[in-house]
Amino acid sequence: MTARDSAAPSPALRVTGAAFAYGAETALEGVTLELAPGEAVALIGPNGAGKSTLLKGVLGQVPLVAGTIEVGGQTSRQRYASRIGYMPQHDDLDPQFPVTLEQVVMMGRYRSIGWFRLPGAADRAAVAAALAAVGLTDRAKRRFGDLSGGQQQRGILARSIVSDPSLLLLDEPFNGLDQENRASLVSTLAALKAEGVAVLVSTHDFDLAQQVCDRVLLLEHGRMAVGELPPAPPRTP
Amino acid sequence: MDPAAFLIDPFALPFMAKALGVLLALSVVAGIIGVLVNLRALEFVSDGLVHAVFPGLVIGYVVSGREGLYVGAVVAAVIAAVVLTLVSRRAGSSDAPTAIVLTGMFSIGIIVVSTQSDYVGQLDQLLFGRLLTVTDADLVQTVIVTAIALVLVLVTLKGQVYRAFDATGAAAAGYRVLGLDLVLNVAIALVVVAASNAVGNLLVLAVLIVPGAVGRLVAGRIGLIFAVAGGFAALAGWLGLSVAFALSVGAGIPAPSGATVVLVVVAGYLVVLVVRVVADALRRVRAGGATGRLDHDHPRAGRVR
Repeated sequence: MTARDSAAPSPALRVTGAAFAYGAETALEGVTLELAPGEAVALIGPNGAGKSTLLKGVLGQVPLVAGTIEVGGQTSRQRYASRIGYMPQHDDLDPQFPVTLEQVVMMGRYRSIGWFRLPGAADRAAVAAALAAVGLTDRAKRRFGDLSGGQQQRGILARSIVSDPSLLLLDEPFNGLDQENRASLVSTLAALKAEGVAVLVSTHDFDLAQQVCDRVLLLEHGRMAVGELPPAPPRTP
Repeated sequence: MDPAAFLIDPFALPFMAKALGVLLALSVVAGIIGVLVNLRALEFVSDGLVHAVFPGLVIGYVVSGREGLYVGAVVAAVIAAVVLTLVSRRAGSSDAPTAIVLTGMFSIGIIVVSTQSDYVGQLDQLLFGRLLTVTDADLVQTVIVTAIALVLVLVTLKGQVYRAFDATGAAAAGYRVLGLDLVLNVAIALVVVAASNAVGNLLVLAVLIVPGAVGRLVAGRIGLIFAVAGGFAALAGWLGLSVAFALSVGAGIPAPSGATVVLVVVAGYLVVLVVRVVADALRRVRAGGATGRLDHDHPRAGRVR
């Protein structure tokens, strides 16, 4: 899996002076940020600081009321939507929903498959590759709701990378994960970065942010401050 | 009883053949759309659409007689589906808007039909259907309306399933969730229109909801659930019509066809439910005897499985 525009000069994401609002209420303002291909930035801040708003704003789900957003040099949401992989918080997914893990990951290909076509060999190969990337090949046929929380989280990550995005937006991906699943997620994200995928991840966990990210973006009360993360501390055996 | 005489011979009669045609078109489409209703937990919204179609049926009948039923119902259905979708989205919940639309529209229908001289007879026909007196034109209209509903759902099926599973993820992937909701609600409303003429406005909900529920009970994979729901609906419709004919003609017991079909549909659901409950109990007993373990890696960990 490779990022589409890893050789292109455009940054994977450029946000300039952006402000986002729900109706008349501004939720986040003054955001300026640039991610190069293969770079990862952590969004850190208390609840309500605007982390999810920024991710949803980049996706176009929260209206941009000031500033600009470019993804891979494109400013049109319609044009750049297919370059983004998004992993939402998934606390509200129905565990009884009758889909297998494989089918959930295939959902990430639906837009490229189109309205009238059925998934083909290329789509199935992409799903297999995404499941291999998150280490869940052997769970492909299991019902999604029967997987552990950590496996479901990794499955949703597989769905977000199955269409070969150049930018990955992750909303609290480490929440509720045990050590094994956290380690697996960290190693998957490192591999994606090495392939040129830029990652913007919201998290409360500063240690994990250090392991995965190159920089941190601190959000507080709907505003931002930028700082460099110190290098990750050496791991103790 | 000879099965052929029971299940096939009645349909040599033209009025029974037309009734079966209407019911099969309706059942298969309602079964498939009913799965989406079940997955999205839209049963109450469907109830709202059923009641919202009623004044359309009444006004269509008052203005143009029997020929006006479909036109009035389609207009009311589409308006109700659009209004309900937009208001639900704005309110953030569908329950209160549905209750308001449901009661308000049904009251309008009652008031309009009460102005007619043959009030009781017309109300009876609109509420309980007239499956055995469908005309060729009714059959054609039913096929067209259900075909439009089916096409709407099939074309958007991938998006509908994605949206039902994870609305946030679907929106992030570029799907217009409002558009998907509008399409599904209009499709539901069209099925309601088609079914109202056949089984009556009060019984539509059974045709729309029960097959999807049966599919969920029987199958674990979404493709199979669609197939089971469509197949069950068609089979139950056929059987229900046969039972109504056998009771009315063979046994001399007056059995309204629409109500009999719905009773067979509901009875089929109860049979499947009992079989499922027993099978689950046996599986739990066997699993408990074999292991009695706690699965700490399961999302509902802590329960003995």
